[in-house]
Amino acid sequence: MVFILEDTINGILMGSIYGLTALGLTLIFGVLKVINFAHGSLLMVGMYVAYWAVTLSGAHPYLTLILVIPVMYLFGYYLQDIVIKPIFKAESEVREPITVIIVTTGVWYVLDNLTLLIFGPHYRTIQENPLRGKMLELGGMLISVPKLWGFSAAVLTAAAVYLFLQKTSMGRAIRATSLDREAASLMGIKQFKIYNIAFGIGTATAGIAAVTLVPFYNVFPTVGVLFDIKGFIIVVLGGLGSIGGAILGGMIIGVIESVGPQFMAATWAEGIVYGLFLLFLFVKPSGLFGVRYDW
Amino acid sequence: MTRENLQKAFLTLVLIIVFGLPLILRSPTYLHILVLLYLYAYLTTSWNLVGGFAGVLPLGHAAFFGIGAYTSTVLYVQYGVSPWFGMVLGGVLASITGVMIGLPTFKMRGAYFALATIAFGEGMRVMVENIDHLGPFNINGPRGLQIPPLNVGLANLMFTNKEPYYYIILVMLIAVLAVTYFISRSRLGYYLNAGGEEPEAAMSLGVNVARCKLIAMAMSSFLTALAGSFYAQFSLFIHPKSVISLDLSFEIAFIALIGGRGSIVGPVLGALLLRPVSDFSRIYFGATLPGLHLIIFGMVLILVMIYLPRGLQQPLTKAYNGLLNRLDRRSR
Amino acid sequence: MKKPIKEIGVCSAVLWVLTMALGAGSVCLAQDKVVKVGNIIPLSGPSASVGQQGKNAREMAVEEINAAGGIKSLGGAKLVMLYTDSESKPEKGVAEAERFINTEKVHVLTGCWNSAVTYPTTAVAERYGIPFIVPVSVADKITEQGFKTVFRIAAKDSWWTRDQFAFLRDMEKEFNAKLEKIAFVYENGDWGKGFAEQWKELAKKGDYKVVLDEPYPSTATDLSPIVQKIKRANPDVLLLVSNAADAILLTNTLADYRVKLKAIIGSGGGHADPSFLQAAGKNAQYLFDIVEWETDVNKPGAKEANEKFKSRYGYNLAGESVDAYLAMYVLADAMERAASLDPVKIREALATTNLGSGRGMIVGYDAVEFDKTGQNKHASLVMVQINDIGKGMERITVWPKNARRAGYQPVFPMP
Repeated sequence: MVFILEDTINGILMGSIYGLTALGLTLIFGVLKVINFAHGSLLMVGMYVAYWAVTLSGAHPYLTLILVIPVMYLFGYYLQDIVIKPIFKAESEVREPITVIIVTTGVWYVLDNLTLLIFGPHYRTIQENPLRGKMLELGGMLISVPKLWGFSAAVLTAAAVYLFLQKTSMGRAIRATSLDREAASLMGIKQFKIYNIAFGIGTATAGIAAVTLVPFYNVFPTVGVLFDIKGFIIVVLGGLGSIGGAILGGMIIGVIESVGPQFMAATWAEGIVYGLFLLFLFVKPSGLFGVRYDW
Repeated sequence: MTRENLQKAFLTLVLIIVFGLPLILRSPTYLHILVLLYLYAYLTTSWNLVGGFAGVLPLGHAAFFGIGAYTSTVLYVQYGVSPWFGMVLGGVLASITGVMIGLPTFKMRGAYFALATIAFGEGMRVMVENIDHLGPFNINGPRGLQIPPLNVGLANLMFTNKEPYYYIILVMLIAVLAVTYFISRSRLGYYLNAGGEEPEAAMSLGVNVARCKLIAMAMSSFLTALAGSFYAQFSLFIHPKSVISLDLSFEIAFIALIGGRGSIVGPVLGALLLRPVSDFSRIYFGATLPGLHLIIFGMVLILVMIYLPRGLQQPLTKAYNGLLNRLDRRSR
Repeated sequence: MKKPIKEIGVCSAVLWVLTMALGAGSVCLAQDKVVKVGNIIPLSGPSASVGQQGKNAREMAVEEINAAGGIKSLGGAKLVMLYTDSESKPEKGVAEAERFINTEKVHVLTGCWNSAVTYPTTAVAERYGIPFIVPVSVADKITEQGFKTVFRIAAKDSWWTRDQFAFLRDMEKEFNAKLEKIAFVYENGDWGKGFAEQWKELAKKGDYKVVLDEPYPSTATDLSPIVQKIKRANPDVLLLVSNAADAILLTNTLADYRVKLKAIIGSGGGHADPSFLQAAGKNAQYLFDIVEWETDVNKPGAKEANEKFKSRYGYNLAGESVDAYLAMYVLADAMERAASLDPVKIREALATTNLGSGRGMIVGYDAVEFDKTGQNKHASLVMVQINDIGKGMERITVWPKNARRAGYQPVFPMP
């Protein structure tokens, strides 16, 4: 029994980090109504920023958030402004411009391979950091401390984003745009400015996820791809556009991945994730917290 | 010449060129590149039946491609059954799978459908990677299957030179283009189009949108699987990561969108641009700076989509029509 | 204003394609008497790291060979290297093999590291009769397809696994330890599956009890479930086949969960990647790994070659890169004897290779000689232990005993 509990806890912790990686994806979808296929690459960029910040300054990984959040925010803001906005302008009459998917995939290829070009194919980890390899012993169970930090970061980030959307005037403007962009722009809300900001925030959350990952994970050019597909599954499971749904969806995937292999080969557990996901889609296509109008 | 005759003349010219090309272009390198180009044009045209006309974005067609490749290969390698038969059987299996996956997913729209099909494709890959034996059939899991290059000949869909492959895939491409052409002009085509754009309106007019989409899906997955068998016989090696890969599903969608979704020539135009970009950028830059060729590929995707969100098809058909008009006027 | 921009877009796109297509014809520069070598290796994507190492090693060898006067029997012909990126995809590998043979008219091909790419590309080379040197791709099948033109430098996987078990036996004897329970954890691919198949038989023969036989997807983002499984199966010995990213993650997670094992044995690949030691650090201590070559090999020239490589590229030569390095010298030797650019003659020369000395022979065994299937019969393997003996973590040869680094006492079982 302790085993199952231990695995479930690990699953929840790791899953919440998956949820955090998918948070930006769901936010961007909620507002822009497009799937950002470059999201994994944004996570990768965040990991490189965090990696270099920690390596060069020797600071606690979480201290680099001061740098990573604004850098990633600006990166996302201008990526949307320069690369993605033109498509929206060209396709203003379409609600879910599919062409944006292609553009974000293009961005994915460019970012991954630019990183390969600049930093080479090497695998990097931060050797000296206060979180590395720390484990918490709890009644015979081992719980990873960096994942615990990641869990806290995920919950806090989700709460912060949620409150921001609910309580601030900017947040309300973002929500208004996501509900009905025509109506919102009639109300004087600048649609593209909101898009930029939403994309910036989404990218910044990917940056936070990156910071939670670097203490125990490798950094290399194609690392984002590993999290990409997982992110898609999580956001649909949680309901596209739902902040809490992303975290919860992440946890579900995390628990399946962590508990499943104890009963079968890990490669089958991977298959179970897809199978359950499809099954779930058939039963409740709008996801756990999705709103019906959105699909 | 009338407009119609002009068009016929133009079409004949294109046919003469494509059929005559191997006589001039003797290098197997370029024939190989062209075979793959046609293969992708074929795949995208088949995809277009669902992705273009039915107004959804399937991103899991590699699964059907894989079903075709595996069915014919397993039957041929282990039972000596002609790949032509395996091809058809693979097509049938794929279309059954397609309908089964289409039944629930066609209720979804937009992003949900796209993501569900990604999960379907990836799930299929994971499954094949986990299965070594399926009943009496040896699938060989992640290690893939090789086809021994023996018994060359048309009956085994296996040749030592590229020309036969070239003509087979060319004929397949022309056939699938013709099928698309007739469907787009048939009642099914109109229904599909209507169902894709205004499903509520179409349904209120008594169109069974769901059924039309399923028919389209069955045809699309059938045709895709045929190409899978062809590819297996062409490359003589298949493994899950190459024939059921997300990259393949994505590339099909790229070609469709770059060329122009929902138009008949779109997929061909898309393949004509993207395949050479991908091949030649790899040839020129693949070795000098690692990854540069993929950066170029990504940039092309971004730029074409920014400047031509409707795909290459739009300005080119316009130019073509303009040309026809001018010739038409001059001849009068 | 909008329209012209669009048209510029189209025009530039069309121009792009045209220039590409036209340029393609003029790539092949007419030079007399050069030996063209086409190399198909992964330079981008998940295997980019190992591909890059292979490229660097080839470059270094070819520079040396050319600087020493090239192929003398061909009037000092230089080796000319052509590289291409397979992206680890069979489809690209095959297309590039076709191009190299038909358009670039290469005299010999090398590659491809990923067995999935090597299978179909060697088939292409076989069809045209172009010799194909495989420095590394360890699957047995590669030399067992009945191909006449394939020559492999590296040992095949049945030898790797055989030596892993022989090593285990020898260590048990030497240290008087009895290990019984054994666990297999491997990437779910051609490479991992191939190893695991052999391991199972060897374990049966050796009377080991297999307590865990676990494939995992090498794209996994969290390996703690696997590590937990290992911990609960409680084996004495853990045998691994991993790519770089998962090798690092697995080693770190094993340490995090304080999994106590008597021996961990890697199978090269990820464990031999230059980034591995840096990224796993202290967690890799006492780990055993099987390789074809190690920096402390007792062979004249090995040290110098490694120093040179390290000063140029910043990391040590590893098994994979040494095989690539050696492959170039094997080729040069064969060309010298063939004294011709005819593929049939080159193939014959390769088949009768018996290279026992020279600058490239920095490997532990005596000579490169191919058997009938094209397999290098003498290819041998060594086991190394990762340990810190005062100069940071390094790889120290421990087995076979006659190759063991002087003065080093292996730590076995792991404390």
